[in-house]
Amino acid sequence: MAWAGPYATRLLADMGAEVIKIESVDNWDVLRALTGQPPETERGWDKSPYFNQTNRNKYGCSLDLSKPDGRELFLRLAAQSDIVIENFRAEVMDILNLGYDVLSAVNDRLIVLSMPGHGKTGPERDFVTYGTNVEQLSGLCHLTGYEGGPPHKTGISYGDPIAGIAAAGAIALALWVRRRTGHGQYIELAQRETLISLIGEYIVAFSMNQREPSRQGNRDSSMAPHGCYRCSGDDEWITIACENDAQFAALCSALEQPGIAHDPRFADVVSRYRNQDELDETICAWTKDRTKEDAAEALQSAGVPAMPVLGVPEVFADEHLRARGFFEPVSHPIAGVWDVDGPPWRMSESPAHIRLPAPTFAEHNRYVFRELLGLSDEEIAELQAEGVTGTSPNRTVHD
Amino acid sequence: MPDSAPLSDLRVLDLSRGIAGAFCTKLFAQFGGDVITLEPLSGHPLRRNGPFAADRPHRETGAMWLYLGAGKRSATLDIAARTGQSLFQRMVEEANLIVEDYPPGMIDELGLGFDALRRIVRRIVLVSVTPFGQDGPCAGWKATNLTSFASGGQMSLTGDPDREPLVAGGQQAEYQAGLQAFAAAAVAAFNADALEVPQHIDISAQECMASALELYLPWWAYLKRDISKRRGNVLSAMVGVFPAKEGHIGLHIMPRNWPRFAKAISRPELVEDVRFKDARSRLQNNDELEAIVYEWASREDPREAYQTAGAVRAPIAFVHTIQDLFESEQLRSRDVYQRVAHPEAGEITLPGPPFRMSEVERPARASLLGEHNEELYCDEMGLSRRDLARLRAARVV
Repeated sequence: MAWAGPYATRLLADMGAEVIKIESVDNWDVLRALTGQPPETERGWDKSPYFNQTNRNKYGCSLDLSKPDGRELFLRLAAQSDIVIENFRAEVMDILNLGYDVLSAVNDRLIVLSMPGHGKTGPERDFVTYGTNVEQLSGLCHLTGYEGGPPHKTGISYGDPIAGIAAAGAIALALWVRRRTGHGQYIELAQRETLISLIGEYIVAFSMNQREPSRQGNRDSSMAPHGCYRCSGDDEWITIACENDAQFAALCSALEQPGIAHDPRFADVVSRYRNQDELDETICAWTKDRTKEDAAEALQSAGVPAMPVLGVPEVFADEHLRARGFFEPVSHPIAGVWDVDGPPWRMSESPAHIRLPAPTFAEHNRYVFRELLGLSDEEIAELQAEGVTGTSPNRTVHD
Repeated sequence: MPDSAPLSDLRVLDLSRGIAGAFCTKLFAQFGGDVITLEPLSGHPLRRNGPFAADRPHRETGAMWLYLGAGKRSATLDIAARTGQSLFQRMVEEANLIVEDYPPGMIDELGLGFDALRRIVRRIVLVSVTPFGQDGPCAGWKATNLTSFASGGQMSLTGDPDREPLVAGGQQAEYQAGLQAFAAAAVAAFNADALEVPQHIDISAQECMASALELYLPWWAYLKRDISKRRGNVLSAMVGVFPAKEGHIGLHIMPRNWPRFAKAISRPELVEDVRFKDARSRLQNNDELEAIVYEWASREDPREAYQTAGAVRAPIAFVHTIQDLFESEQLRSRDVYQRVAHPEAGEITLPGPPFRMSEVERPARASLLGEHNEELYCDEMGLSRRDLARLRAARVV
């Protein structure tokens, strides 16, 4: 549900895995509720752009795991599957009596991955955490922020996609292992631990010097200049970084001020670092009258790392991303046709694409119940009557 | 180093020089893969990143390398030399994965491009990690972690509205690309093994970040509604980082958590308050709710607030410093930290793996520069000690 788990299965689904997303009438994906459209929108839950982007290339079925018949059918599905991924709270699968011991008993080759915030053990295992909490609990929030300012949140629910990517990789490793051992395994991913591995150098450093790192905004501990500079227009910015003397000389000629490269305040790495406030002013004087695109072109032509800060609509229209075919049209039976970002993994011999729109709620019930589980129409109707499955979600759940 | 770990028959040759590539291969090493980092004779560039043990710059004791080099074997090789290239081609015979981050086209110029490699090993997987990918108008552009973070859209979302956009802490653009490269490589390695499909994987850091823009990208793409303007530390009363008494408290309250939240801040009566009766009303009366949250947070000890909220299962956390991470009962109880001894850096702490697999757990230190030259070139590739001396004299290894 939400982003972390579904991002993992999105990556695998993009690669061609048959992914079946299981929701139920009373426990459906909160992303379906983030429609951005008026509440009276018909079948709004099928028109959420966030849900539809995250769940393309998957099938969807409605099955209530908390009902005995639902659980039984889930076990029959697990018996013929390779992987089960869940990102419920830590205790939920055990409460459902669907822990790894139960699942592996019906399918020894099954790979099961859980991804609670804190893992399944320890004094905080039952604490509830979402994506922005994960960055607070892993040190990333502490490291992010303007110089002298408070710790800062990142722009996204950072813990989610990070956990999702790691989970996809973990599954692949377990598949590699399974080809050798013949059996599946249980993988436990604690989201805060995953994110700690993205700041690992700070853990090592602290163990050596016991010093708390300070926030440094857009600056670097060695490179200067290294910052984000205002360009012409409303709230337009460019990032510029110089890794060495050669790039700095190139920057000076692009700024049409080759003399600066010999100015004693900026002539060498150490002087530039010490005098970077003044250096930033000089750069800003040049960038402020130029568009970020023109400035980036000029700097890149000279060989300087520079890039406009692209806003989300600009990412969507970016010529480079478009030239690489990053965005692909997807046609959804209820939501219509639109462009969505494609797979971030570009494979030369088996290129991945968006083949299927996201499932409407319960769209593939029939495929799952009839074709995969061999139920009759009468049995399916009975499940529906008992509330084990359904065709539309209970809308009050996410109000 | 090859042993009985489940991934020990997965061999990775690492030609990369940046954080993304090094993180990608570090993860394979962490789970038992046999990773050989092929360093230039002057040492891997990341060995230059401080801080260093005892604050003395030393190629063996930089924190970045001690972390990202952990568990890998180290051999030196001048890949620009013809002899270096032919030695590399021999190594490829035993390899599953090759990771590189040269500017697009350079690996072909070295005669080690995908077509050349797959002629050596039919099932080879080549992973190329670059800022903009292998083709397209910006493919040759220069980048650092900062500029990559700007190119993928995440920077525009981060920071205060009245200040410049902000890069996330550490080297997140690099790490995101490295993590995606790892997962893609693991899938491709499995595929190559099971179906004999070779693969050249093209990972663009820009695409990795553009792939993680939460609801902002799909909302723009579908609704043409742009809500991506950066909003500082507080998205709403329910999601943000708030100043507390000595420290900061983070809230991420979803609609279903509202009653738990009211309980956690000892204001159960808020649940009955019509101004806040559902998600929509709470948004409409956000300013009033935000005032309540600010006021509450300012009086709280963040560590106590975290424990109180955790006990009633409200999604409230406190901003952990690095020291807090070391002191965390939760992380300590799960043995997240691994102490390893390093000949030059002494005893250091490495964070544990990003996920736990039932059969793998192997803390290992970073190798010294060229530590495995003899093992690789002589014991495994069959060169004599005198051949190795010749390669050294010619500055190939």
